[in-house]
Amino acid sequence: MARHKKITYEYSHDGVKQSVMRYAKGVRQPEGWAEQMAERVACVTDKWIADKDIVTEDDLRKVIIKELERLNEDVAFAYRNHDKII
Amino acid sequence: MSDLLSIATIALAGIVQASLQLSLGGLVLLYHSSMGHHRRRKTRYLAKSYIWGALVISFLAVCAGAFLIEHTFQGVIAQEAVFVISGMLLASAIVMWLFYFRRGKQSTQTWLPKSLTRYITRRARATGDNIEAFSLGMLSSFVELPLTLAIYAVVANCLVSTTQPFIALGVYLVIIAVPMVALKIRIKTGRNVAEVQRWRIRNKAFVRIISGSGFAILAAFILTYWGL
Repeated sequence: MARHKKITYEYSHDGVKQSVMRYAKGVRQPEGWAEQMAERVACVTDKWIADKDIVTEDDLRKVIIKELERLNEDVAFAYRNHDKII
Repeated sequence: MSDLLSIATIALAGIVQASLQLSLGGLVLLYHSSMGHHRRRKTRYLAKSYIWGALVISFLAVCAGAFLIEHTFQGVIAQEAVFVISGMLLASAIVMWLFYFRRGKQSTQTWLPKSLTRYITRRARATGDNIEAFSLGMLSSFVELPLTLAIYAVVANCLVSTTQPFIALGVYLVIIAVPMVALKIRIKTGRNVAEVQRWRIRNKAFVRIISGSGFAILAAFILTYWGL
């Protein structure tokens, strides 16, 4: 029987922002636009998470991807598929 | 076997090896993670080191194979060995057609165990200098050994039988470097990793068919010219 470790992290606005910025820069978005985009996404996740005690990483990723799809398709694609390259 | 035939065989083996996707996928990962962390100039150097790493492993494997054939088998591999190599190539063809890519529309994940791909992904993210990128290139080339072993044996035997081994080796190394260099040029000319990955996903089935057929043709060729 497979056993999965439960790892919990504290949500952080900066964590989301840094993560989105890294993906945005990874697909050659200009630095300023990458930062703006990351800030917008982090604000959206802040609002989404405000009334929740605990969320899964998958749910948070879905919210980030949904927002990124609105802002930039390439970054959303990279964010969604980063673990499906090899 | 004439020089021309040897070089043609090496070229076919090179094309088949070039169609394998792990080294290319590793380079895509390296580009993606490095561009997010470093300046473009540094990313270029990392990519160059990665390509050299991938080529060095193939170079060493082929040279070691040629040395083994020259000194252990006195330059001629036994008939049984030819059958074994053909069998391995045929098995690789079947693996390519059926199992090489995992199922999933939006993915180019390969047959490798998940733990290994996760390790390579983690290493690509952590790569910050040229030595690490070089090692990552070596690793990505090394883990495809189950599929490339027979190719190395074919190339090594051709190198032993030709009178122009350095030209033949050069042809082989240039051919296997082409996909990685082409990716480097695409990124340099303004494409981004997402576009490259979308292209890889769109052409996944084509790559699988071409690569599998390449393995099968090479197996038939080896059996015809060396075995019978």
